[in-house]
Amino acid sequence: MIHQGDDTVTIELDQREDGELIGIILEAAHRRDFETMTRTATEVSEMTRNWATHIPWDDLASLEGDDDELAQVVADLTEMWEPAHLRNPVDPDEEYALDKNAYDFYRPAGCNLLTRTEDFYGWVQARRRTETWQYSRVLEAAPDSVAQITNDLGRRARGINFNSQDYLSFNTHPAIREAAARAMRDYGPHSAGSPMVLGNTRISDDLEAALGDLVGLDHVTLFPTGWAAGFGAVVGLVRQSDHILIDRLAHSCLQQGARAATRNVVRYEHLNVEAVRRHLTEIRATDTRNGILVVTDGLFSVDADWPDLVTLQRVCREHDATLLVDVAHDLGSMGPGGTGVLGMQDLLGSVDIVMGAFSKTFCSNGGFVASNSPALKQYIKMFGGSHFFSNALSPVQTAVVREATRIIRSAEGDVLRARLFTAIHALRDELTGRGLTCMGEPSPIVPLLIGNEKLARTANRLLFDRGVLAFMVEFPVTPTGSSRFRLQVQAGHRPEEAREAARIIEGAIADSRAYLSSAFGSAPR
Amino acid sequence: MYDAIVIGARCSGASTALLLARRGHRVLVVDRSSFPSDVISTHFLWPHGMSYLNRWGLLDEVLAVTPAHTTVEVVNDGISLTGSVPTELLHEYFRDLHGDDSGVVQSYASVRRRVLDEILVGAAAKAGAEVRTNFTVRELIVENGQVVGIRGRAVGGELVEERARIVVGADGRNSFVARALALPKYDERPRCTFAYWSYWSGFDLGPAQLHRRGRLACAVVPTNFNQNMVLVWGPSEWSREFRGDVPGNYQKALDFVSPELGEVVRTKGTREERIYGTLDQSAFLRPLHGPGWVLVGDAESAKDQCTAIGMTHAFRDAELVSVALDRWLRGDASIDEAMTAYGDRRRSQNAAAYHDYVCTLAEMRPYRHDELQLFVALRGNQQEIDRFIATHADVAPVSEFFQASNLFLLNDAAKESSADHPVFENFAETSRSYQQNLFA
Ligand SMILES: Cc1cc2nc3c(=O)[nH]c(=O)nc-3n(C[C@H](O)[C@H](O)[C@H](O)COP(=O)(O)OP(=O)(O)OC[C@H]3O[C@@H](n4cnc5c(N)ncnc54)[C@H](O)[C@@H]3O)c2cc1C
Ligand SMILES: Cc1ncc(COP(=O)(O)O)c(C=O)c1O
Repeated sequence: MIHQGDDTVTIELDQREDGELIGIILEAAHRRDFETMTRTATEVSEMTRNWATHIPWDDLASLEGDDDELAQVVADLTEMWEPAHLRNPVDPDEEYALDKNAYDFYRPAGCNLLTRTEDFYGWVQARRRTETWQYSRVLEAAPDSVAQITNDLGRRARGINFNSQDYLSFNTHPAIREAAARAMRDYGPHSAGSPMVLGNTRISDDLEAALGDLVGLDHVTLFPTGWAAGFGAVVGLVRQSDHILIDRLAHSCLQQGARAATRNVVRYEHLNVEAVRRHLTEIRATDTRNGILVVTDGLFSVDADWPDLVTLQRVCREHDATLLVDVAHDLGSMGPGGTGVLGMQDLLGSVDIVMGAFSKTFCSNGGFVASNSPALKQYIKMFGGSHFFSNALSPVQTAVVREATRIIRSAEGDVLRARLFTAIHALRDELTGRGLTCMGEPSPIVPLLIGNEKLARTANRLLFDRGVLAFMVEFPVTPTGSSRFRLQVQAGHRPEEAREAARIIEGAIADSRAYLSSAFGSAPR
Repeated sequence: MYDAIVIGARCSGASTALLLARRGHRVLVVDRSSFPSDVISTHFLWPHGMSYLNRWGLLDEVLAVTPAHTTVEVVNDGISLTGSVPTELLHEYFRDLHGDDSGVVQSYASVRRRVLDEILVGAAAKAGAEVRTNFTVRELIVENGQVVGIRGRAVGGELVEERARIVVGADGRNSFVARALALPKYDERPRCTFAYWSYWSGFDLGPAQLHRRGRLACAVVPTNFNQNMVLVWGPSEWSREFRGDVPGNYQKALDFVSPELGEVVRTKGTREERIYGTLDQSAFLRPLHGPGWVLVGDAESAKDQCTAIGMTHAFRDAELVSVALDRWLRGDASIDEAMTAYGDRRRSQNAAAYHDYVCTLAEMRPYRHDELQLFVALRGNQQEIDRFIATHADVAPVSEFFQASNLFLLNDAAKESSADHPVFENFAETSRSYQQNLFA
């Protein structure tokens, strides 16, 4: 008995549970025993009656003589009564492949480091079998605006290529190839050792000077990869009791560097300079003895946006914090004279520490760290780990980057960047015109938002055979639920190619939405 | 001629009618049930659900008869986390979704539907909406492809016809409007849970407890009438066997998931009602709107009970749709603009990520080693426990918690290790044993 106001509702404790009652009604329906159906229905709880409003609980007797209605009611009751997956079978491989995320496998069980990777491998295999594994494709020939590739199941495809990080199309540039050939002749393919020993050549000194000129900072150090530059700069400078404030979406080499350097890491909201100011004030209120490194990308590599570096640098100075900016994607490819986001914000020479990677615009592996301090340079060389204890860039790589830097600064550089931006605008306009969402600002990276991983994985599967090579990024590159295609544009892309690609991509997304029968769009909230 | 006719007068319908009437529109809201009455639900309201009630001035009336708390204990395979949804995240939620963060409260409550829905219907009437209960809609009036009204009748009454500029389907999972318009289902996820619950007196354990072990779970939450809502749930694949002996298996599930709770219920508890249950909880979306109609609440998107979110989502829909319809009814926006604004919010990336989160959880697979280690890593990190709870409750976006740099940092900041938790001994064997249907 429960009491409420003046109403007294009597509830029988021993009434049967609704599932049992529905079972009885279904059985009776098969025997066409309308009397039992009607009597049993009176016992069904108010809860269920008010919920299963499509069942004529009070009128079951009226179904006698109306076979269609009876069949409908039996179907509706059965649907309530039987597990839905029995009616609706799914391919278990596909379900497993599409529903899991890489983070599901980050903390495997077991004491044996070899065998405990099996679980993850099982998932990789399910992704492969369902052709939704976007990783580890290989090239069959030199890529330019079109490329020929093989996926990791050995299937081939040829398509308009948005997978190469070669924003100014240097890979096929004769002067670049000539520089590589000359260095090969002069020095051979090998770098003789660590840059701290004898790994560098004359070209390396030249390159350091040229890069310093490009970013307006006097002291430049080369690293074998961009990753090594970011990681090395952070771990070289920051100690256990120091602090790091890092943009949540900053590149992995910086995130991992931060984790390796100290436990005092705050991941601030993407681009939010006010949040940085708040955190800095908080830290400085209790700690004036230790250092603070603030870390951000220039052009963000999967979001295509950039912070207000002028304010960020000022806020850092006001709190005795040091700013590090990773210009891997923007340096050379955009901004006045190829000076990237720094040049666009009139900050050449005035950011504390700048690092970059050669792998996007400069047509080679490698990276650098630059500042105005000779002391900082020597310190990072000694304590950065990835500089001291890794072989130097090869002479060929160094020469390629040296030549790329020259072209970037020349009039030809301006022409290439103009062509690049014509293709970028063509691609973005066509995608947007088709109702799709391009994130961020016009830049060599065009992130096309998908959102849901399942949609992205199936769209990616369809795209493979349709003549566009686009890399789908999902966790751990993006947060869960915000996967996207990252299209990397090149100066060599013709605007018609970009528009054609947009059309094909739109078709693949629409088809995979229909395949999944999904109603979700990609508005952010 | 009404501005709007709302079919269904519970969490989504009464609220929509209330909000539209308060903005001065002529509203008719009908329901085939009468009030007070129950409907299937375990009726837990997360803090944003309570905040909606507070924004509408109805929270005090609810709190006068309902116990409320702020902390909740979540125990997964013996790993306990206690926390609450942070106020800042609640403010952010309301600012992001509704552009206004007034009325935020941090408490949650379990409100019997016979209590809550009665308050909502009363408030709708007080706001000036015309309420007809015991009134069943039998037909939609469609002219030139446009829904323009309804035909229906009160118990024993004549068939009557009413017209409006828009018909709002707030008529639940088994929506009449959806059936009448033969609307398709999207984003279906058939795997879901079976849930059985009842109401018990005789003990008071304070704040809500949620326990999970293997593929089964249980919850105890204090509710109205000095009773506790005691719920068990598991994968719908096991439902047939569970049904073989509902009262016996209900207790067996409690004993398995949390022997302590099982003991309390067995020795101190008095069951006050029959056991209720359902396994009809597979998830789907329906089209949101069309000519002359729009859906809210379970009618537009139904999902499993395992995160106890449907009522709060129904409130959210009511606010979103009433703001959109108000702009249109006033002539400040076209119907297309208004519905696009509503649709963008309801079919967003965040909504998709949460849909997946709930549906995957509803499969009730045993927690993986990785997932349990994450719970261990969270222990002692109150800020992140709270954020995890907020994420689970769809206050904070899934994407902000489940982000690589955050997960790595959580891992690095861990204060405890698996050595402190017995589930990690013989983990492989334990996991295998969890695959056994306990009721077979
Ligand atoms: C087992 C279970 C447990 C749950 N637990 C929770 C929980 O703890 N917390 C939570 O937030 N959510 C929970 N939910 C979900 C929640 O109950 C629903 O999301 C919520 O009830 C939806 O509200 P609504 O107003 O959209 O629909 P409903 O509450 O279903 O109301 C629909 C109304 O429409 C009326 N109607 C239908 N057809 C007609 C017609 N033709 N004419 C007139 N009227 C009509 C019905 O009579 C009914 O009153 C649970 C769901 C289940 C299945
Ligand atoms: C922003 C950013 N920083 C650093 C790197 C690392 O550069 P590299 O690929 O040269 O190691 C990359 C590329 O992956 C990047 O996108």
